[in-house]
Amino acid sequence: MAVSTALPEPDQDAAALGRSEDAAATKRAKRSKLVRYVAMPGFLLLLNVATFLWLSGQDLDSIERRTLTAENLIGKAQEHVWLTLLSTTFVLLLAIPFGILATRPRYRRFAPGIIGLGNAGQAIPSFGMLALLFYLFRVTPWLPSTGTLPVVVALVGYSFLPILRNTMVGLDQVDSSVLEAGRGMGMSERRVLRRIELPLAVPVILAGIRTALVLNVGTATLAFLFGGGGLGDVVYNGLSLRRIPITIVGAVLVATLALLVDYIASLIEEKLTPKGL
Amino acid sequence: MIELKELTKRYPGTETPAVDRLTMEIPRGEIVVFVGPSGCGKTTSLKMINRIIEPTSGQIILDGEDVTDVNPDQLRRRIGYVIQQIGLFPHVTIEDNVATVPNLLGWDRDRTKARVDELLDVVGLDPDVYRNRYPKELSGGQRQRVGVARALAADPPVLLMDEPFGAIDPITRTRLQNEFLRLQQELKKTICFVTHDIDEAIKMGDRIAILQERSIPAQFATPEEILTQPANDFVADFVGSGSTLKRLKLTRVRDVTITTDALLGRIDEDKHVLRQRLQESDWTAMLLLDDERRPARWLRAPDFLHDRPVAEMGLPARAMIEPQATLSDALEEMLLGSAGVAIVVDGRGAFQGILDVDDIITSIQTMRDANAEFYRASKLIDPATAIA
Repeated sequence: MAVSTALPEPDQDAAALGRSEDAAATKRAKRSKLVRYVAMPGFLLLLNVATFLWLSGQDLDSIERRTLTAENLIGKAQEHVWLTLLSTTFVLLLAIPFGILATRPRYRRFAPGIIGLGNAGQAIPSFGMLALLFYLFRVTPWLPSTGTLPVVVALVGYSFLPILRNTMVGLDQVDSSVLEAGRGMGMSERRVLRRIELPLAVPVILAGIRTALVLNVGTATLAFLFGGGGLGDVVYNGLSLRRIPITIVGAVLVATLALLVDYIASLIEEKLTPKGL
Repeated sequence: MIELKELTKRYPGTETPAVDRLTMEIPRGEIVVFVGPSGCGKTTSLKMINRIIEPTSGQIILDGEDVTDVNPDQLRRRIGYVIQQIGLFPHVTIEDNVATVPNLLGWDRDRTKARVDELLDVVGLDPDVYRNRYPKELSGGQRQRVGVARALAADPPVLLMDEPFGAIDPITRTRLQNEFLRLQQELKKTICFVTHDIDEAIKMGDRIAILQERSIPAQFATPEEILTQPANDFVADFVGSGSTLKRLKLTRVRDVTITTDALLGRIDEDKHVLRQRLQESDWTAMLLLDDERRPARWLRAPDFLHDRPVAEMGLPARAMIEPQATLSDALEEMLLGSAGVAIVVDGRGAFQGILDVDDIITSIQTMRDANAEFYRASKLIDPATAIA
């Protein structure tokens, strides 16, 4: 190592220079981060306050007053959140292990087919799929045609493919030389999966989960088809009774929920993404 | 140390095997280089040793033990592995990267931490600076240093290196090669090294296996033998026409005449005395030695115009080589250093003499049957540009 100590280390000088530039960049990044953290909740608060103020200025009739109570709206929102969480949990438990399995060497040959299917599945309109399921549940005697179960099944079916697809793509994009190094040092296949592949796939998998969550919030609006409740009830009521204020309040609440879920998911994504990436 | 017996790899659906009955012995403490054209199966052969690629037939014997059928994960923890793409884990720190195998072996934290620091030091990275960085914050050369440190972590007796310096810029590559060779003098690992670059093979190898298609050895011999007595046309072709330049790697500094009467000064001498001595001589530069006769600074006439203490005047003395270094090493140090000459020092760093480009050219000229190559070589090391 005699020569390396005698020679100046150009790498180090460059790194040191990079550091001081980094400091300024971090400062800027911090400020923009703060804006990002505050902007979305602020916007949602503003949207809801504006809706409330507009509503207070309206002359509401008895039907509108009965529907637009805090109690009723909170109940519907809770149902909506519950449906979303339940279906997302189920879909995670199904799609992620399946995605891992489908990228193992043994099943690898099926991977392109599954990803293709995933892409095609995305093209099916949610309303069409729900209608089909609705019919399927109606004609199958041992399945309940209303309530939470058919809604959750429909939501799981609809968000299964994006999460599966992202899990597979996320695992596939891990640099093969990193895996070879891990195996070459004596890490078992399981350990490579747990310690290297999954952490490195996390950003892509999380992006899939985020997409699925937002999709589920939106699609859960159609739960009223099965009498599954949720904010879709409010919107549908407003439409069928021709009460504009009810429709608008329902729509604003669904939009708020979707954006809020997306916002929270983005925070989680940031938190869980490994630092060195 | 490593014995390969009739090692064969046949991929399903292909008629000719990728590696055909490779039999070879890699002696303890030596670097054996597999070199050959791309597609000759050298990498496959290497990867069969730690069974990243499972051999179709044949035996691998490691230190007398048949490891052909042992648990591959256990086996690999005893064999260091360095690959061209390095393959550092991007999501964990340098420390955790280096600690991979110690963690697998269940070392306790203190022992692992001490070992990581020691190794980062060995590969020339300051542990306090680099320990907590992530791979993306390092340059390519630094990453490969970490790659080497990681392979050495659990002190495996055997190292497999698959084109380890292949993706690194030429200057850093030369430096890493030299450092690695110095390291190997202490570590005495048994190393199997794959490259497609015959120059790297000659430089790094104690023995070279030149492989033809299906990993059939065309010649397995020392670099000297390969250069001077190629076994067949394939070897001669592969070694190529620049063999005179390559022979620079075979000639040692101690075998050539060096300049011993260079203009010297001591670092504690008076500035005016030094200046006068330099002006009176016909040398353009003076070498200052410290009190243990180790070269410290180069002084030239214009350096005296600045009012500085003697110890800070001029340029630091670099490009120091020991007598056992090859002329090729010397030439590289010369080109890397600023003075255009290499300073020959003994084992303790004390001044012995100076080697300049002319000395090397003279020694090239004395090599016989090398007329054509001489022009190529002299063009490459044009003294004017080397000294500038």
